[in-house]
Amino acid sequence: MLGLGPIAFAVPWILGALIVLPILWWLLRLTPPSPRIVQFPAIRLLRDLVAREETPARTPLWLLIMRTVLAALVILALAQPLLNPRAGLPGSGPIVMVVDNGWGAGRDWPARQRTMADLIDQAERNNRDLIVLATAPDAAGEKPRPSNLMRPADARRMTQSLAPMPWPTDRAAVVDALRGLQVQGSAHTVWLSDGLSDAAVQPLAARLQQMGGVEVLMDGADRLPNLLLPPATEGADLVATVKRADTTLPTPVTVRAVAADGRLLARQTAAFAPGADSLEVRLAMPIELRNEVIRMSIEGEQTAGATVLLDERWRRRPVGLVSGRPEGENQPLLSDLYYLERALSPFSEIRRGSVLDLMSRDLSVLILADIGALTDTEAAAVENWVERGGVLVRFAGPRLAQHTDHLVPVRLRLGDRTLGGALSWSEPAKLAPFPPSSPFAGTHIPPDVVVDRQVLAEPSIDLPDKTWARLADGTPLVTAENREEGKIVLVHTTANPDWSNLALSGLFVDMLRRITALSEGVSGDMQATTFAPIEVLDGRGQLVPPPATVFPIPGNAFRSDTLGPRHPPGFYGTEEARRALNLTSLVTKVEPLRRLPAGVAQGTYAARGEVDLKPLLLGLAMALAIVDLFVAMLLRGLLGNVRIGRGRRAATTAATAAGLLLAVGCVAAWPGSAHANSDDFALKASGETYLAYVVTGDRALDDTTRAGLEGLSEVLNRRTAVETAGAMAVDLESDELAFFPLIYWAISPSQPDLSDAARVRLNDFLRNGGTILFDTRDRQFGAGSALTGGGPGSQRLRRLVDGLDVPALAPVPPEHVLTKAFYLLQDFPGRYGGGDVWVEAQEGRHNDGVSSVIIGAADWAGAWAVDESGRPRNAVVPGGERQREMAYRFGVNLVMYALTGNYKADQVHVPAILERLGQ
Amino acid sequence: MARDSFSKRDLAGKPDLAATALRAQHRSEALASRLPPLLVAAERVAATVAQGVHGRRRVGTGETFWQYRRYEIGDSATMIDWRQSGKTQPVFVRENEWEAAQSVWLWHDSSSSMGYRSVQGLPTKKERAELLLMALAVLLVRGGERVALLGSGLPPSGNKVTLNRLAMRILEDTLPKDGLPRVEPLPRHAQVVLIGDLLSPLPDIHKTVAALSGRGLRGHLVQVLDPAEETLPFDGRVEFEGMEGEDELLIPRVEAVRQAYMERLEAHRDGLAALARAAGWSFVTHRTDRPPQTALLALYGAIAQEPTS
Repeated sequence: MLGLGPIAFAVPWILGALIVLPILWWLLRLTPPSPRIVQFPAIRLLRDLVAREETPARTPLWLLIMRTVLAALVILALAQPLLNPRAGLPGSGPIVMVVDNGWGAGRDWPARQRTMADLIDQAERNNRDLIVLATAPDAAGEKPRPSNLMRPADARRMTQSLAPMPWPTDRAAVVDALRGLQVQGSAHTVWLSDGLSDAAVQPLAARLQQMGGVEVLMDGADRLPNLLLPPATEGADLVATVKRADTTLPTPVTVRAVAADGRLLARQTAAFAPGADSLEVRLAMPIELRNEVIRMSIEGEQTAGATVLLDERWRRRPVGLVSGRPEGENQPLLSDLYYLERALSPFSEIRRGSVLDLMSRDLSVLILADIGALTDTEAAAVENWVERGGVLVRFAGPRLAQHTDHLVPVRLRLGDRTLGGALSWSEPAKLAPFPPSSPFAGTHIPPDVVVDRQVLAEPSIDLPDKTWARLADGTPLVTAENREEGKIVLVHTTANPDWSNLALSGLFVDMLRRITALSEGVSGDMQATTFAPIEVLDGRGQLVPPPATVFPIPGNAFRSDTLGPRHPPGFYGTEEARRALNLTSLVTKVEPLRRLPAGVAQGTYAARGEVDLKPLLLGLAMALAIVDLFVAMLLRGLLGNVRIGRGRRAATTAATAAGLLLAVGCVAAWPGSAHANSDDFALKASGETYLAYVVTGDRALDDTTRAGLEGLSEVLNRRTAVETAGAMAVDLESDELAFFPLIYWAISPSQPDLSDAARVRLNDFLRNGGTILFDTRDRQFGAGSALTGGGPGSQRLRRLVDGLDVPALAPVPPEHVLTKAFYLLQDFPGRYGGGDVWVEAQEGRHNDGVSSVIIGAADWAGAWAVDESGRPRNAVVPGGERQREMAYRFGVNLVMYALTGNYKADQVHVPAILERLGQ
Repeated sequence: MARDSFSKRDLAGKPDLAATALRAQHRSEALASRLPPLLVAAERVAATVAQGVHGRRRVGTGETFWQYRRYEIGDSATMIDWRQSGKTQPVFVRENEWEAAQSVWLWHDSSSSMGYRSVQGLPTKKERAELLLMALAVLLVRGGERVALLGSGLPPSGNKVTLNRLAMRILEDTLPKDGLPRVEPLPRHAQVVLIGDLLSPLPDIHKTVAALSGRGLRGHLVQVLDPAEETLPFDGRVEFEGMEGEDELLIPRVEAVRQAYMERLEAHRDGLAALARAAGWSFVTHRTDRPPQTALLALYGAIAQEPTS
């Protein structure tokens, strides 16, 4: 390879062709250019003309230079120039590529892939074959084996299928596999290591050196992978230990705790002290969040060793509730478990069932509410569980007072003691302050907690030690005893308010919390189950569905050393009962790769930086060739004739294209302004009182309705104290209805059916005090009333109100408030006279007695409608202008009724009304 | 239309040619839609030149007064001029000058070398030649002369439809495409106008002119050339192709031969002028970038001049 500064030529002998360039120049200079072809009729006169000068035309100089440069570029490109070339590969035999693809390689796998690709490119250039060897067992569990001698293209395909594995490498097996490997010539080995050392490093390096030169590539010392060990629980906090390989620098490390849906729950940063190889990071979280943590990881590292999966052993404090009485569904407030659930649910997981069901799974606390005696099997199971660390809490009750078994902390007297009551001298007892040795010490005792009845304990010597809470007279209320690793706690009163009102107080919650905080959690019986894989970690520390190569783990083999290709780290078991298998329970230390044998070259994964200039030069040459073609055509006049036309056409097409692009861009840049619209609508509607009308889609009808409501609002403003700002259109599907006291709905046959969202909105409106006036406008069809008539409007109305919460309706009685809300009216004409108006049948306290639905058929908006100059639009039959005045009066009454309620129905107004009526 | 009569005479007894003739008629009617531009252009050009019927300076039918003479036995009684006879004793007869329309035979060169134009903005030589021909025909017909196309086989006429028929015949492009007209028997005392680029060898032209003038015809030559043919504005190495199937010619440097070419063209023109002078004909040169009115004026003046016979 010939080198000239930063550029080297891989095939230098082609540069000898540069000698040809001057000859090319001379030839091009001599050759006259191609002639222009011209048609000429007077050609006969041109023949045999004697020219005065003989010098022929020549190629222009710049064209000559361009063509020479083109030839030079082609020659240079064929010589394969390389920028920043790398040293060549020594040796004559194949290249052996040993790739560490265990869990440590997940940290920077793309860099390793790039290095492998560069190496294969270099081998291809030097025409050497490759042997690829991955040091981790593959997913099927097979030991690492060197591949056959491969061409670089095959090697490229194979290395693209390599991926980091979430289990450790097996270098001992690699040494065994290399024992039988024969190579021709001296092979050059490149070992892409993950920087971690184990027992087999030295033998492997020695074996590789026997085959030829060795080069080891690894990350820098600060980029070695870190380990996150499974955390310990201290109170409510999780304390995680991080281990690192290289101990010199004080590097910071951040640990994250993530929930199942990917939410970040806690994040804590800490720094390694220089010289320390482990660090404790404390993640403090509320207990509710701590129950949701599913994995913890080191931020920025994507290896299986930096991820720890948490299952129930860390997070849950499941509490089992068993009740002696079957709960009555209709009387929840009398059941025991109701209060226990309410007290425990915020911070513990509640499980219900029979005792044996609960025993078969993990359980922290078992609460037996008034169970007298357990069966033998139950008692044995519970005792076993308690001895392994469970906390049994029993509440007393009538049954416990009758029978008791040995699962109580103290000996009990049969029967109970009643404090207070009709036939006793004492009063219900209050609680004494908690002794400092009790777990309840420090909680606040509300002064009104009294205990009416309780179960008594036989006095004994160790009774005061076992007492956690007392009554004011010294009698124990809560006693507890340690049994091996667990506890048995007895509360001498009931869990429901039968015997005391402790269950109703906050003290109950605090006490239960303290008791559950004491518990550690006990794993269930694991002997008989097989754990199927639910989710496993891949080499990059991500949870993925388990591939087919993962086997289930039998229950008795669930230990850390079963981890391998068949059982990668992940979650096993069932969805409800998960168990986590973590890599860091097997791999607890990392050591950096040091002390390689002499003669082994070391390098890093930094980018190689070799740039091949051949494609660039060839591209340049191609561009120059195209330019030369155009220039030649130009000189021969083949482009000259159409230059004008083409230019004009090109200009117009360019202008059209630019214009189109601009137009499309403008159109696309109009985002929907729906959000701004709803805010504007709300602002406008809540600023003033508006009379709303429903948009029916029929333009003429909406127009008339709007004009009618505007006319009515003008009448209201003139004659009453109501100040309405006019009419406002409301779209039931999209607008908020809560701003309007009254909605006018003109039923048209063309109105589309309501969607469910609109129905819900209407129901809310009606329920929360709104009034809708339905106007079917079909009095002229002879139907006497809107509801019973058969006109098109009333049919449509029936269909529309199908899903609405319309109460029972009745015609307006003669003494209804509508007849006297502002004006005294007898009937309610609109454009058409006669007919009924229907309102709610029973007006109670709800909505201040205002009917939420008013239905009529007289087309009031048509009667109210005025045009811009104030003249009425529609004629009124049969009464003429007097009827229109009555229609306006009905409108005023209606609005007053909707806005002020039924205060006019008070008897206070009756004398004045009677006087007005002339009676 | 003369076309119809022609076709009917031609097709008498040959009914299978009727379809072809109909198609040709349609084609010519389509061509006739191009007539208006040509005619309008021609008439516009012609409007700049005044015209008139000219007398023959002898006794004959006409309208202009020529002489009075005594009445002789055999004269028609309507020719007696009573006013003059009343002044004196003898009886006088009034005679008019013989005013007769001439017949002018027109020919233009429609060979493929005439379809040349050097720049898009200029008309081809053929278009200019057609224009000149039509303009001349308009002038002549307005002036009362009779025109005909040489080689078309139609007799000269000067009535209203002549111009249309002439234009259609030109646009049909069915006339023979030789560089020089075929010599046909033509009546004496007619005039003939040859419009073309006249780049054929001088002996050929001499033969045609001599044949035509030997029959007593007075002729006029119009040479229409493109400015590129006069100035040879090419540079560098050019390969020239002939437009009538001649061989290509490669000239290494056109600038070098330009002078020699222009001398040769000048010599050719001088030869044509000498030819025309010898035969008593007129010779007009025209370039397509000049306005056609100039050539037309010169041509019309040449036609209107009295022969010195």
